[in-house]
Amino acid sequence: AQDRRLTGKITGADGPVPGANVVLKGTQTGTATDAEGNYTLNIRGANPVLVISAIGFKTQEITVGNRTTANVTLEDDATALSEVVVTGYSTENRRDVTGAVSTVKPAQLKVVPSANVEQQLQGRVAGVTVITNGQPGTSSQVRVRGFGSFNGNQPLYVVDGVPTQNIAFLSPDDIESTTVLKDAASASIYGARAASGVIVLTTKKGQRRAQKLSVSYDGLFGATDPGKSLPILNPQEQADWSWQARKNDLFQAGKTPDASSFAGIAGGQYGSGLTPVLPDYLLVGSRSGLAASAVDLTAEAAKYNINSANGAIYNVIPSNKAGTDWYGAITRVAPMMRHSIGFSGGTESSRFYVSLAMQKQAGIITNNDFSRYTLRTNTEFDITKKLRFGENFQLAYISNKGVLGGVGNQLGNSTNNNSSSSSDENEVLSAFRMPPIIPIYNSFGGYAGTAAPGFNNPRNPVADRQANANNGNFNIFGFGNAYLEYDVIPSLTLRSSIGGTYFSNYFNSYGRVQYENSENNTTYTYSEGSGYGLAWTFTNTAAFKQKFGRHDVFALGGIEALNTGAGRNINGSGQNPFSTDPNYVTIGTTTPGATRQVNSGYGLGNKFYSLFAQARYTYNDKYILTGVIRRDGSSQFAAANRYGVFPAVSAAWRLSSEEFMKNLPWVSDLKVRGGYGIMGNSNGLSATNQYNLYGGGAGQGYDIAGTNGSINSGFNRSQIGNPAAKWESSITSNIGIDGAFFNNKLEVVLDFWQKDTKDLLYQLSLPGVVGVRSAAPFKNVASMSNKGIDLLITNRGTLSGDLTYEVTGIASFLNNKITAIDPSVPYFTGGGTRLSTAAVRNQPGYSMSSFYGYNVIGLFNSKEEVAAAPTQDGAGPGRFRYQDLNGDGKIDADDRTFLGNPIPKFTGSITLTLKYKGFDLNTNLYASLGNKIFNNQRWFTDFYPSFTGAAMGGRVKDSWLPTHTNTTVPIFESASNFSTNTQANSYYVENGSYGRMQYLNLGYTFPAAMLSKVNLSRLRISASATNLFTITKYSGLDPGVGGSADTNFGIDVGNYPVQRGYNVGLSFGF
Amino acid sequence: TGQLSGAQLTSKAGLDGLLIGAYAQLNARGFSQSASSFNWVRGSVSGGDANKGSNSGDFNALTPFQTFGIQPTSGEVNAKWNAMYEGISRCNSTLRSLASAGSDVTAADKARISGEARFLRAHYYFELKRAFNMVPYVDETKDYGTGIEAVPNSADIWSNIEADLTYAQTNLPVSQGAVGRANKWAATAYMAKVLLYQKKYAAAKALFDQVIASGVTSDGKKYALVANFQDNFNAAKDNSSESVFAIQAAANTGNSDNANPDLVLNFPYNTGSNGPAGCCGFFAPSFELANSFRVDANGLPLLDGSYNSAANQLKTDQGIASSAPFTPDAGPVDPRLDWSLGRRGIPYLDWQAHPGLDWIRDQTFAGPYSPIKFVFYKSQDKSLTDGSSWTDGYSAINYNIIRYADVLLMAAECEVEVGSLTTALSYVNQIRTRAKTGAYVKTAAGAPAANYQIGTYTSFASKEAARTAVQFERKLELSGEGHRFYDLVRWGTAATVLNNFIAYESKLLPVGYTGAKFTTGKDEYLPIPQTQIDSQGKSVLTQNPGY
Repeated sequence: AQDRRLTGKITGADGPVPGANVVLKGTQTGTATDAEGNYTLNIRGANPVLVISAIGFKTQEITVGNRTTANVTLEDDATALSEVVVTGYSTENRRDVTGAVSTVKPAQLKVVPSANVEQQLQGRVAGVTVITNGQPGTSSQVRVRGFGSFNGNQPLYVVDGVPTQNIAFLSPDDIESTTVLKDAASASIYGARAASGVIVLTTKKGQRRAQKLSVSYDGLFGATDPGKSLPILNPQEQADWSWQARKNDLFQAGKTPDASSFAGIAGGQYGSGLTPVLPDYLLVGSRSGLAASAVDLTAEAAKYNINSANGAIYNVIPSNKAGTDWYGAITRVAPMMRHSIGFSGGTESSRFYVSLAMQKQAGIITNNDFSRYTLRTNTEFDITKKLRFGENFQLAYISNKGVLGGVGNQLGNSTNNNSSSSSDENEVLSAFRMPPIIPIYNSFGGYAGTAAPGFNNPRNPVADRQANANNGNFNIFGFGNAYLEYDVIPSLTLRSSIGGTYFSNYFNSYGRVQYENSENNTTYTYSEGSGYGLAWTFTNTAAFKQKFGRHDVFALGGIEALNTGAGRNINGSGQNPFSTDPNYVTIGTTTPGATRQVNSGYGLGNKFYSLFAQARYTYNDKYILTGVIRRDGSSQFAAANRYGVFPAVSAAWRLSSEEFMKNLPWVSDLKVRGGYGIMGNSNGLSATNQYNLYGGGAGQGYDIAGTNGSINSGFNRSQIGNPAAKWESSITSNIGIDGAFFNNKLEVVLDFWQKDTKDLLYQLSLPGVVGVRSAAPFKNVASMSNKGIDLLITNRGTLSGDLTYEVTGIASFLNNKITAIDPSVPYFTGGGTRLSTAAVRNQPGYSMSSFYGYNVIGLFNSKEEVAAAPTQDGAGPGRFRYQDLNGDGKIDADDRTFLGNPIPKFTGSITLTLKYKGFDLNTNLYASLGNKIFNNQRWFTDFYPSFTGAAMGGRVKDSWLPTHTNTTVPIFESASNFSTNTQANSYYVENGSYGRMQYLNLGYTFPAAMLSKVNLSRLRISASATNLFTITKYSGLDPGVGGSADTNFGIDVGNYPVQRGYNVGLSFGF
Repeated sequence: TGQLSGAQLTSKAGLDGLLIGAYAQLNARGFSQSASSFNWVRGSVSGGDANKGSNSGDFNALTPFQTFGIQPTSGEVNAKWNAMYEGISRCNSTLRSLASAGSDVTAADKARISGEARFLRAHYYFELKRAFNMVPYVDETKDYGTGIEAVPNSADIWSNIEADLTYAQTNLPVSQGAVGRANKWAATAYMAKVLLYQKKYAAAKALFDQVIASGVTSDGKKYALVANFQDNFNAAKDNSSESVFAIQAAANTGNSDNANPDLVLNFPYNTGSNGPAGCCGFFAPSFELANSFRVDANGLPLLDGSYNSAANQLKTDQGIASSAPFTPDAGPVDPRLDWSLGRRGIPYLDWQAHPGLDWIRDQTFAGPYSPIKFVFYKSQDKSLTDGSSWTDGYSAINYNIIRYADVLLMAAECEVEVGSLTTALSYVNQIRTRAKTGAYVKTAAGAPAANYQIGTYTSFASKEAARTAVQFERKLELSGEGHRFYDLVRWGTAATVLNNFIAYESKLLPVGYTGAKFTTGKDEYLPIPQTQIDSQGKSVLTQNPGY
């Protein structure tokens, strides 16, 4: 047959579709539409069929028949490469994006029942690392493309156009889109606060068309199981091992045990014979280690007293020979529920979305509860045809009870919201330190504890948790903005927006008088306090968008002023009220006088003033060039260095629109992107860095008049200023490919990136001679490099019949390295508890927060081995043998080395969705590889002298003995020295890699036909399990270990674990 | 934001505030227990007055102070360095601001303020000198950005310390408006001590003679021994005639850092409500110290060292449960024994009789004794202690950096070396007489709690005998007050005395003293902190020998 000419126009819902592939089915013949969506193609054959595909649209086949013109309207197909992405101060089509941008579908996020949206991002975005813990309402360590700086690495959140540092107030069901801007080309429009990446969130809006009200409900009910305790020695084992420790001591001294060897162990609780005997009573008044026959409970009941106001404490504590499960006692199966109702609707000239949502979630630790109630109203009205007014507003009430650890400043201007709970000596740790022979309660219903001698100083964690029952923390957030938009001409829109966060916080806490412990708090203290803050942003922009034939131009200019948050707080405390009934206690009812204290604080916030512009030019949908420039001024810098100018350029080339690619019909879309830019950063810098300041007050006071009860205020230089500080800048470069293949069945987004930060601001510790109580000035002293690869691959298709699948793999490779620090201070250290040396060293050439110490190459097996080895303080059989790195024949500080770091080299996930008719099955496997954990808990659980008498971990059973030398666990003995438990060394460093099935979710969506009969538009039920299993070699509770600062994290002292949960969900709409 | 600019502190009140800040650092608040001017760790634990106490693992960064295994990387060493230089920086800050003093500051004010600042600076440098020996000397002309980091530790600083004290002596008034301020006589006594440390006995003696003859406290009390030895350790009797210069402690001031934060660990353990604070069992007096209080038939100490012999050593309850019977030692002892340490069966201030093991955290590591000198009385709980923190151990008891008994004994040393043995004898006997005539620890029934015997020396047979007696009297009178190690080093007897001490004590407490050994030529001084060497460079800071 003869070739003939076919023309036509391809359109979509929004008009012409340029760049659509038009291919004659069964041949290599094809073309692409031009900028107006037109095409021309020579066709042949008896019954020609066209296959038309375009990014963002469903592929269609049409039979041409005898037509010479074939116009086709394509249906939208939402795939990863086709969405509208919200970037910068505008939205753009994924097709046009030239920077490194990732999006996450809200439906995927909602499956994870955590309270904070940021937690849900774990493993969802290539290039974003999230380290979180299991505490509801906690903050997480969210890092976009590594760690650009020593502090202030938290990404900037932009919610409906308003920048903030904290998104705890958001209800997950309100979120419509989540976009992560990762490189300078995409993020630098946000200027100085964007250097750590930007996460742009938008909330749901109504639709602008005449419609009836639509109502949606989403509900989730579930529970989290606390899991099991780590192995600890049971009462008999603990007694036996205490005896073994004494034998080991004697072994070290070259002696053998005799009948007198066991006196005085554990306060005499187990007797002093050749074998220990578990007592029936641990404490009766001042007697201990008693058999039941020695105690007349009726007589003791009369003497029993746990209130020091009534005289000396007289506790009666029986033993629990079966062993108390302390972890079990402070944990519970923790219920959660989430409800949200959304109302949306609109008219031709308005739209609205209103939602009410609540989430109540109990922590697996008792008396740790989170609840949040939110109200959101998003509206927009046309005042005239050209003038629109809109607002997005959210009110949130968050109550957090019994919180473990700090969660950072919630005002929203803090750039370090890392939770500190993992590195705290909290009740999670207490549960592994409290000897199981001690019962929770004494013989008469009060608390039992280490007041019984011989068990050292752990505090009864159940009592400590119970004391938290009435401790509350209540926050109210008002967040939002109001804006006006004016279309000067159709292609030019002016927008003015003012928004911000108002925050208020209230807390109270009751500190009980303890009697059950060896180290008791003997004063009842009540404290309460409050604070408020206001952060605001005023933005004015002009946006121009116009197509001229094959030329597509977009330009944006803007001016912005903001304050990151100014506020005040006040808190007070008092002691020993007449009654400790919580209904009675106020500061006013505490004892009057000097023990009533009040304090307050005042923060000014950082003020910014910025000008910015962005322009994008697209030629024929093939070549895209984008430029961004922003000039930021910050009050954090002295006048001379206040302003910084930060440009970025990026370009993309759509190969698939080129003629030579038309012959490859399996390539649906292929775009190569490249970007380069500079971003400024001042996140870590204090507001007053430029000034020399003096402070002090009571903390630096002195009783110069010798009164014994009062002081004169003293002052000291509290800060050394540095007016020369200037902007940190990070240079990012990014090369990426966006590709869609086989009719969009396979999509690939691949980015290679590098981020080099220079002039890093850091408070290098001052040499001692300067006086270290002055805060050191932030100086531009260091540089850092981050490199990585981000990869997203999606494959979707039909397995058979109605069974479809979609599988998405996300992979992020990260390499972080400090490249330079001021030569005057070659490194700085931090982290670790109870060790004589710091666990972490930050030094050029190594990753941030690298663990540092001696490398244990084994245990000494004999005195001869010790004698033949390099000189090592405290060396002995069964103790650590350190590596003599410099080979000088002695082990000293010079033999310490880097032992790994907590930054995962790889994080990624595989998400699989299967759909069959109304059923859908979702699962996500997350992996974090190549990170190390400093298991500081081992100090407490593996060494006898680490508070001798406290509970010991199960590893002790594998400890070194002359008869058991094939082990890594050191000898269980009293000595505490350089070769046992005082030094940071590789014994504490564990492989923190893990894989976890984050969820497995099965849902069923009822067919629309059935629902229409009951006037429902949507009905879905689902059931899921979260954190179903974790594969890891890490011996602690949970390998997800964060920390309070980026310069020392991954140290596990009392990490709040993420555990397995189950939930069911219901959602419907009408 | 709660902070001030420097210009706001040039008024008289502002300058005085800076000066108060310099005094505040005497207790090394916010650094470490071991960093304080009290020196209970370096002075008393390293000196053998006491062992670290508690148990083996608890705060084990302090254990190397009793075994002489201190590493340059030790955070404790760095804390001492940082704390003392923080004090110096505050003195320098005061002196710098004085240059731009406001119009309300009179010449007399300037003399006083600069005198106090230089007195304190001398104190902090003296602390550094005896702890580290070679340290960089920075004064108010050097600051951050003006070369302070480049000052090496190559020059000896005794002359700088003397210069500051001479200035203070000249410019400080005798009488101060507040009793806590250093006065002319405090500066004179301190100067004499500094001279004694340099073995400039004649010059030191001249000053001690003046202090003894004419010295008065800042509030005008003539220096004298108080009637009862134990009143030096009682908050209610602070700032007595015996207090030459003290760290002023105060409780319930809104911040527990004003209430001996350096001493909070030094109480018996797990006492419940029957004893003070209940934490943490540190600073346990040594067996060897307790034995030292044994006296002969004349009530004189056993200067031949035989107090450690099997026959003479004190009977203890080591290894005996509190529920098992025990009778305390019945032999003759110096009455200061039971005001210097707590032991089983003897009334522990006004609390109760010490129950032994139940109040000891780990007897096999700490031994049977509890500290008592800086422990508060039951009657003072929560009034002269601060209840605002995790323990009641924050007390208002002043620590005398120099007390008059110390002055007399230092003067006695000078007399032995360059003066009269008779005068030395009289000084020592003044101390012993007070110990004899003061109140003894009594049982509930009012009888002496032990067989207390004390007599005075009739004469010193020789210079050597006198030296031995004076030195031993210092051990007894000033035990647990942070002096002993520094005394041993300046006497040149550290290696002998401490290695003998270790040999004795390690038999009783093998775990705590494993590997302990004092090495001459190294252990006299702490290592220069590795952190500081790394920070300032090896060309600026030279490490001490042996490290």
